[in-house]
Amino acid sequence: MNNRREFLKALSAGTTAAMMARAPRLSAEEIKHPAAKADSCILLWMAGGMAAPETFDPKRYQPFEKGTPMSRILSTFPSIRTAVDNINFCQGLENIASVMDRGTIIRSHVQQDLGSILHSRHQYHWHTGYVPPQTVAAPHIGAWMAKVLGPKNPVMPAFINIGQRLEGIGESEELKAFTTAGFFGSEFGPMNLPFPDQAAASVRPPQGMTPGRFQSRRELLTKLLKNSPHREYMSDHQQESMLRSLDNAHRLLSSKERDAFDITLEPKEVYDRYNTSRFGQGCLLARRLVENGARFIEVTTEYEPFFQWDTHKNGHDVAAKMHKEIDMPIAQLIKDLEERGLLDRTLVIIASEFSRDAMMEGGPGSSAKDQATVKGDTLESPAHYGLHRHFTQGSSVLMFGGGVKKGHVHGATADERPLVAIKDPVTITDLHATIFTAMGISPKTVYDIEQRPFYATLDGKGKSVDSIFA
Amino acid sequence: MSILSAVAPPVLAVDFVHEVAPLLKKHCAECHMGTKHKGGFAMNTREELMTENDDGFVLTPGDSKKSLMMHLVTSDDEDERMPPKGDGLDEKEVAVLAAWINAGAPWEPGFTFKKSAYEPPLKLKRPKLPAAQDNRTHPIDRILDAQLTKTKVARPAALDEAAFVRRTHLDITGLLPTPEVLQKHLADTDPNKRAKLIQSLLSDNQAYASHWMTFWNDLLRNDYAGTGYIDGGRTQISQWLYSSLYTNKPYNQFASELIAPTKESAGFANGIKWRGEVSAGQKVPIQYAQSVGQTFLGINLKCASCHDSFTDQWKLTDSYGLAAAFSPEKIEIARCDKPTGKIAEPYWLYPELGKIDPSKPPAERLKQVAALTTMPENGRFSRTIVNRLWHRLMGRGIVHPVDAMGTEPWNEALLDYLAIYLVENQYDVKKVLAHICESQAYQAKTQTLASDDESKWTYAGPRAKRMTSEEFVDALWQILGTAPDKAHFVPAKIESPLRVRASLMKSDMLMRSLGRPNREQIVTSRPNDLTTLEAMDLNNANILAAKLESGAKQILATQGTDSSKLVDSLYLAALSRPPTGEEKQISLEVLGAKPSAESLQDFLWTILMLPEFQLIR
Repeated sequence: MNNRREFLKALSAGTTAAMMARAPRLSAEEIKHPAAKADSCILLWMAGGMAAPETFDPKRYQPFEKGTPMSRILSTFPSIRTAVDNINFCQGLENIASVMDRGTIIRSHVQQDLGSILHSRHQYHWHTGYVPPQTVAAPHIGAWMAKVLGPKNPVMPAFINIGQRLEGIGESEELKAFTTAGFFGSEFGPMNLPFPDQAAASVRPPQGMTPGRFQSRRELLTKLLKNSPHREYMSDHQQESMLRSLDNAHRLLSSKERDAFDITLEPKEVYDRYNTSRFGQGCLLARRLVENGARFIEVTTEYEPFFQWDTHKNGHDVAAKMHKEIDMPIAQLIKDLEERGLLDRTLVIIASEFSRDAMMEGGPGSSAKDQATVKGDTLESPAHYGLHRHFTQGSSVLMFGGGVKKGHVHGATADERPLVAIKDPVTITDLHATIFTAMGISPKTVYDIEQRPFYATLDGKGKSVDSIFA
Repeated sequence: MSILSAVAPPVLAVDFVHEVAPLLKKHCAECHMGTKHKGGFAMNTREELMTENDDGFVLTPGDSKKSLMMHLVTSDDEDERMPPKGDGLDEKEVAVLAAWINAGAPWEPGFTFKKSAYEPPLKLKRPKLPAAQDNRTHPIDRILDAQLTKTKVARPAALDEAAFVRRTHLDITGLLPTPEVLQKHLADTDPNKRAKLIQSLLSDNQAYASHWMTFWNDLLRNDYAGTGYIDGGRTQISQWLYSSLYTNKPYNQFASELIAPTKESAGFANGIKWRGEVSAGQKVPIQYAQSVGQTFLGINLKCASCHDSFTDQWKLTDSYGLAAAFSPEKIEIARCDKPTGKIAEPYWLYPELGKIDPSKPPAERLKQVAALTTMPENGRFSRTIVNRLWHRLMGRGIVHPVDAMGTEPWNEALLDYLAIYLVENQYDVKKVLAHICESQAYQAKTQTLASDDESKWTYAGPRAKRMTSEEFVDALWQILGTAPDKAHFVPAKIESPLRVRASLMKSDMLMRSLGRPNREQIVTSRPNDLTTLEAMDLNNANILAAKLESGAKQILATQGTDSSKLVDSLYLAALSRPPTGEEKQISLEVLGAKPSAESLQDFLWTILMLPEFQLIR
């Protein structure tokens, strides 16, 4: 907490931000934060609905055979063993399987189906803990960490969001709606780095500007300010705060930490291990940023309607391609963090907005509209072969480091359809409570906004799943 | 079912806000809350509740069986039982209370049942204008000069001519004055030239409408892209809004058309609907109640959409009453997202002004809501808008924050004077703007504030305002000559060729960095401060860098390569003043006799980063 205070004092506009009419106010009650098990958090986001039975929760394998009744399809991949005896994954995830002895798998994560599946709406729910629309703008969990914990290293933005374009793709407005600090104000919002290989540019002087020129531009500003005929305003807090922010920005842009954003500085063989995709590069970037004191990082496989994990047809082939994208980089990230002694204090989470199923939309009893684009009762073509429906009643979450048990399984799903969580279900609210608890944030942390108390977990009711902690 | 119940959340601990507070309020308020303390016992706060009184301690946290309160609410003795009147607590309520005490009687931090002492009157009261001081006869000055005398605060110094031109331009049209207009004004010898300038800016209908789109889009959460548009869960009101501003539609009519909408203006009333189910407190009719309350009356019905508000007078039935007026179907009242079985009746927030006839069809009911909202007797309506306009021009509301219209204004006379001025001028918003701009109070230098502590603030002149994102971008385009060719939103009916303005464009990264909100929620005041991440974008974002690059080329091509002349003209264009000798010398050291494209870019960037540029003083 000291860090945060120092940061505010030395570096930010936070104190003045409080004057804003809408500024949130920490509630009067002393919030008792738990002792932090981790100092940094990396969320590896499987955007678009990663099917648990095609990844970390294999069910009975059904190979492609024309004429097979669709109802027989649970998993389209055979299962493989992991480093832990009683835990199996789907074929294609051999590398992550090899590091399973470093982490915990939750197989009973459940979501609401909200009456209709709209990925961005479910992602909003997952990332903020609140279902849109909301009367006040809900902060992303990364913004909660930025607000409550502050940056770990004062020059490193506390909330960094890697891999998601927010312009020019479907549902981008909806994505923007939760990729924000909400009512906390943009000071706690994400630094967005949609292209990991171009991240370095966002902490460098503008393209084509030499460091010398960047420096002299800055000196010109200082000189003109000093000689301004409006020196009477120099003591004005609003002016002061503006200049302080410009100073801070300049400091990061000239700091040694900015090299952390440049993944091309990585040795080629390491780079190659990560370089499966933008997601893989994002994992490498996340590792470099954590090494340099980043607080919260999200790396996404990127949500774009009908791409990546959002498989409405050819599900098997797409899942196989996704395995290739994520398997090496995730495993390497865990190993690298471990090797550097960082894994113990870094919580790595792999999660998705919901799972998928070959037959069932939403879950048992759901009224959500079936959105599969290829339909039929029997398997006719490879386009048909896969899990093309959104399923909210049983998905998998992997957690590594940050005080979680090693080689541990929490919860389970049924072996036959419906593949719902049948043991120890974990809601979004409780999962968030668990993540916040690991990071040393009380799930009951509350800020007042527009006369309303707004909690880190829904109404302050999130209960941490403490049994997963060592 | 067993499968479904397996994933249901576990039974939750007792919830003070949603279960206990309503119960205490229902049964105890009449005698022990607010200013009431029967038997010497009050329970507005946990501290009060825990204070020993004549009967000892009322509560033993953690042990309901030992708590006097439990004894009293469950007693069969008529003389003893609490509450003394009515049926008392039912079994379920007794169980909740016991569970709460057993849990240690947790309280909502900072929560009190006591209402603020200030009760805003509904009717406007015409103030008696104090005598003019030093021949400052404008009614606003008469009121504020009296205030300054009373608070012993020095009168702010008058604004110089150029600063006045700059401020009125930005405040009325959102644009920087061109050097030509500025020079012309400075050369004008007419003593009435300031009033003339104000009128000429207000009569530039296009510039005015384009500028105020920013304010109204925020306040009505209208935009050219955003959540909900994707599958018809939201519609734009852009054409209606633009033309209403362009024609300076009387504000009572303007509001009526939003409250009882036509197809063109329905986007506001219909709110934002995401696909799928939403919680009871966010259904479209409830959004309607919240939006009408906040936008037009400065009432926060967000708390009262879920339960009776703990912080003001608004009740769940108020929100649902307004929602029921809107809703074509009957709506069931839900408390904290749980159905109550009660059907909401159309109900108007201020019954003293009139009623909504529940037998009428929805369209008729909404006309009644519009009439009740906008009637001259509803001072809350006129006060709310003049306060917002004052905030835009003067940098701080007379009631502040501007959405909390239930709180006390720092000058009641001023607020009511302006509200009456609006009503008596047929709700002409431009007239109110002109009236404020013509006052010496507006035409004064801004306060310098050492601290951001609003509670210590006293009126000592206007407050500096951060340029809106749209103002900054428009200024950038104007100085560099790089406005885009086409707007994303093109108004249907305007008399002169369209000038592309940032307010007519979809938001982009630069605009977001400069504080343009995504309009998911109603926004009534934007952040005053530049944050570090935003400053990073200003330092190196490609979008700004690219503008500067093409702008520098453009300037060199059109304005020549004489550095001295360029420094003079760019200072004038950006800051509405020539550079001082020192500033010019420093600038020329960087630019040399003939600037390179790069050095000019850097010079331009520096000017844009000056607080003098970004703050409207």
